[in-house]
Amino acid sequence: MGVLEFREVRPGAFVGRWSIEPSIGASRVDLRMPPHCFLRLPEMNCGEKGLVGPITISNLGSNMSVVLIKVIPIEGEPRSYTISTANPVVSVLGTGAPTLEAWVELAKTYVNYGIDHILLGADHLLFVLGLIWIVGGGWRLVKTITAFTIGHSASLAAAAFGLIGVPERPLNACIALSIAFIGVEIVKQQRGETGLTARYPWIVAFTFGLVHGIGFAGALAGLGLERRLLPAALLFFNVGVEIGQLAFVLLVLALIWAHRRLDAVVPRWGEAVPAYLIGSVSMFWFFGRLARVFAAI
Amino acid sequence: MALHVPRALTAAIVSFALAQPALAHEQAGVAGGLVSGLLHPVTGIDHLIAMVAVGIWGAQLGAPAIWILPITFPLVMAVGGVLGVLHVPLPMPEVMIAVSAVILGVAVAARLRLPFPAAALVVAIFAIFHGHAHGAELPRAANALAYGVGFVTATGLLHLFGIAIGALTRWPFGERVIQGLGAGIAGVGCYFLAQGLGAVA
Amino acid sequence: MKLKPVRVLMAVAILLTGTSAADAHVVAARLGDFYMGASHPLTDLQDVVLWIATGVLAGTLGASKGRWLIPVFPIGLLVGLSLAPVFGTVSTQLADATMMLAIGMLLAAAAQVPTLVLCAIAFAVAVIRGAANGAELGPETDRLLFAAGLACVGYGVVTLTMALTVVFKRTSDSVTSWRAIAVRALGGWIGAIGLMMASLVLAS
Repeated sequence: MGVLEFREVRPGAFVGRWSIEPSIGASRVDLRMPPHCFLRLPEMNCGEKGLVGPITISNLGSNMSVVLIKVIPIEGEPRSYTISTANPVVSVLGTGAPTLEAWVELAKTYVNYGIDHILLGADHLLFVLGLIWIVGGGWRLVKTITAFTIGHSASLAAAAFGLIGVPERPLNACIALSIAFIGVEIVKQQRGETGLTARYPWIVAFTFGLVHGIGFAGALAGLGLERRLLPAALLFFNVGVEIGQLAFVLLVLALIWAHRRLDAVVPRWGEAVPAYLIGSVSMFWFFGRLARVFAAI
Repeated sequence: MALHVPRALTAAIVSFALAQPALAHEQAGVAGGLVSGLLHPVTGIDHLIAMVAVGIWGAQLGAPAIWILPITFPLVMAVGGVLGVLHVPLPMPEVMIAVSAVILGVAVAARLRLPFPAAALVVAIFAIFHGHAHGAELPRAANALAYGVGFVTATGLLHLFGIAIGALTRWPFGERVIQGLGAGIAGVGCYFLAQGLGAVA
Repeated sequence: MKLKPVRVLMAVAILLTGTSAADAHVVAARLGDFYMGASHPLTDLQDVVLWIATGVLAGTLGASKGRWLIPVFPIGLLVGLSLAPVFGTVSTQLADATMMLAIGMLLAAAAQVPTLVLCAIAFAVAVIRGAANGAELGPETDRLLFAAGLACVGYGVVTLTMALTVVFKRTSDSVTSWRAIAVRALGGWIGAIGLMMASLVLAS
């Protein structure tokens, strides 16, 4: 963790210094400011355009994970930006009205961030996998996934704007429990009982979508976003999440199709194995996360 | 109509080649290997017309040739390529390549119907010479696999292109067009033959 | 209707290649070692050509033989990966070329390979490529995650390729149908690529 402060001394001219030096040493951080800015610490000159555009640190890794950049302009509020391994680029929009360039930069950053977040969220993906398993393909799946999307988008927005606040640790335990629920539903379906999910998959998907969405918001919370950028960032982040989720669904459907073609389906004696696997993994997560809830108390 | 297609293709290939001369010659690695492998068979006109002629002739010969040639042709050519890479000398490669264009062109123009083993032998000998030339001129820096992929793909596509033209034989008019094309190929082959012999003499 | 899954697959393939076009090490910095393992082979031409060749060969032999590769191939990759420290940085190029030539010739000849031989070939390919992928690992990579990613992508690529091949070349097709010829011609091309590559490796 390092903190780098830029204080504007004249319009477009900044003085920067590390208020907390990163563990690998300040000189080894590969910091790239927007191309029109001339950086030689402690001075940085961005000219008339001001500090607008992407800031990148390309060599973040296991030995240095996060750098916080604070910008203190002459006029207006100080702002801070977090650059992390997961998100090595941040966009600075400046104090004036955002230009098109700045919007594109913002979109790129947050769409990528959304994709990363869903692809790394094994719990979300496992839940989606369970849904596909129960619902099968076709129109029903489209409706179910849409319901899940609407659910998590709604709660993500609500949480990001501070309308609802749920403590993170119990929430994560709930997310694990939702996956266990899906595992149980799969077993029920295989026994010939019609579970809630099989009857109204969209209702289940929507409800648990709400829970998962609050989880997504936790990822956005740590980024030190400016309030005026929040709606746009939220939108792009959500788009990224949908892209990642859609890719995952398509991949799973393609693999299911391939298995049917190859006549390589799960044998009868092993039919329950995937459900129990989903259940065990999710309960393992649940107890682990529950332990963290109590550890916090 | 059929005459326009090869011209357009040649134009496209030439413009592509001109647009990226640096890529074809300088760049090493995967991209460089792929591009130089792809371009190598299509940049020499004598090679190009001979490859297309093989495809057309195979289509004219019909049943076994039309499907055995696409399967075995790249393999035989690769054998020639191996000889070239290892610098095993073959007699008068330039002349043989020109001769192959002439003979294949004449065969197409005259609708020469050799029995299949004889035709296969002729094509195989020529394929080895063509492959040899490509192998001998190989850029050392390029990624070996990428060059192979590019080279075989380009050769195979030229061959398929020839077969597609050869499919015109189903119509009497198409037959005429193909014979004209064969005569043209033979003519160009003669030009290269004269050049090659001049160089030898 | 039949084309629909194929189109979906193509979309997935484009998506996957699009994201993997970037260097695999960038992916590692962004998404961690699981995705690095999953994307590393897709950026390597040797892996792409050999894996697809293996999948096509298994697919042409029909679903009943091919489906054995669904477990065999990923296991082979894992075995190869665990053997990587033994091989060290020995170049696998010649072995790759030989496998390409062998698989290409079998495809071109439309040989009826027995299931056991098919599994052995696929296992050999997987071990070689697993070792090659493991050789480039840095000390800071989480090997378990990398192995999981590699096995997943190996399973995915081989399974999808086999299924696509089974759909493309139906077992009811005659030997001289254009679909059978197209697959055999592809085999001829792969064999030729292997031959070229072997000679280039030997010459250099």
